[in-house]
Amino acid sequence: MTATAITVSRRGQLERFGPPLLILALILVVWELAVRLLEVPPWLLPAPSKIALRFGRTQDLAYHTGLTLLEAGFGFAISAVLGLALSAGIANSRFLERGLFPYVIVSNAVPIIAIVPLLNIWLGFGITTKIVIAAIITFFPIVTNTTRGLKSADARILDLMHSINATGPQVFFKVQLPSALPFIFAGFRIAASLSLVGAVVAEFYGADRGLGYLVITAATQLRTDLLFVAIIVLAAIGVTTFWLFGFLERRALHGAVEQERPR
Amino acid sequence: MNLAAAAAVAAPPCISLRGVGVVFAARGRPVQALADATLDIAEGEFVALLGPTGCGKSTLLRLVSDLLRPTSGALSVRGAPAADARRRNDFGFVFQEAALLPWRTAHDNVRLPLEVVGYDETKRSGRCKELLASMGLADFGHSYPSELSGGMKQRVAIARALSWNPSILLMDEPFSALDEITKNQLQDELLRIWQREQKTILFVTHNISEAVYLADRVVVMSAQPGRIKEVIAVDLPRPRGPEVRDTIEFVEQVRDARRALMS
Repeated sequence: MTATAITVSRRGQLERFGPPLLILALILVVWELAVRLLEVPPWLLPAPSKIALRFGRTQDLAYHTGLTLLEAGFGFAISAVLGLALSAGIANSRFLERGLFPYVIVSNAVPIIAIVPLLNIWLGFGITTKIVIAAIITFFPIVTNTTRGLKSADARILDLMHSINATGPQVFFKVQLPSALPFIFAGFRIAASLSLVGAVVAEFYGADRGLGYLVITAATQLRTDLLFVAIIVLAAIGVTTFWLFGFLERRALHGAVEQERPR
Repeated sequence: MNLAAAAAVAAPPCISLRGVGVVFAARGRPVQALADATLDIAEGEFVALLGPTGCGKSTLLRLVSDLLRPTSGALSVRGAPAADARRRNDFGFVFQEAALLPWRTAHDNVRLPLEVVGYDETKRSGRCKELLASMGLADFGHSYPSELSGGMKQRVAIARALSWNPSILLMDEPFSALDEITKNQLQDELLRIWQREQKTILFVTHNISEAVYLADRVVVMSAQPGRIKEVIAVDLPRPRGPEVRDTIEFVEQVRDARRALMS
């Protein structure tokens, strides 16, 4: 029985990951051959083998990656904490909703690229500016999704809670917050990839480390293989965080099969 | 006239409405949801509110439970403002389609009000199990709402409303989404509970025979504006069982109620 189950699950893994891996291998082979046979200059399009070699040779790749992750992570965390608190206020107070929501929208309407130089003047070219940019760029999706989620709580349950004199925190933690979880996770997933964008864009301006710095350096020096390395690392981080939040969401929402899920 | 209706004349009423009106502002225009409602409900009485959609039946429940303040008129519960009764946790709510929390098991849904009203923590679990067992759900305590049928969910909702033993049950079309067989079963179960626990029940429905079968008195309402049209005392013996539905008296009472509703 067990052996069969394992075989079945292995076959499932193969069916799931087999085709995309096969396609990837095919693309890499064609790419490699095309670059070699057509003698494409490496600054235009480096061969996959050259990019792979560059991976090993790039000094401090882990350091640059770690730094960018740190900036994005801190920005995201700050935004998540502030965003959840603000959403709790907005969802429960008509005054706060009317008073604050316009500014949340404005925070989204101003192009983030235009804010970076301003923050450089105020906060310098260090890590703080990057964290703040990552926080600003993630704020909107977190607040809007969380607020919508908190407001999605069943009005009848809210009536029930009020009819038995539930306190504000009781209503929030027993009804509103659990109702909002699928929305909060949807917001977090969007925010996670945006936080990376924010950190990298902030690093474009006068940074001397981080993946954004690596991208800019590689581009200005026409080191296209290095550019590919940075892009691949960024893509890998994006995919990993997306998967991680999907995993956390499934764990957190265990049992809530019936719950409405935002798309 | 049955006992409860007779007692209504002598004893002070459990719930008393005097010329109660409610006006909502819908899109800037005032809408009269309920007009000039006068009604006395005795302790332990089973009263059905019968009427079409938009006749203010649900509004009346929210008024009685102090979730809504009347725009005009006076409303009292046991001789005091409804807010006093709410502070004593006198009201148990049951809604259409159960309104359970999907992330909580049946057991934990029944437990929710106990966590709010300050029920002895060591006795909560025992109370939930006892109630689920009495509703024929002893084996389903660990099931999530998505794993239960409509009838089972509604049983959980009734158990939830009974959990802290409130003296007044407010039921808002609780069986209207159920199939005929399940509906009849739950009606009989509700009558048994009412007979056993001596609760005052306000039961909103748009089903004429359901109102007649369950109630001591049927309050017939009309829409636009919502108002009480007629109050019919149901003259059928207690305890009532399925055989009552086949009697001439039952058919006549249903006919009277229908005439009152259609007139």
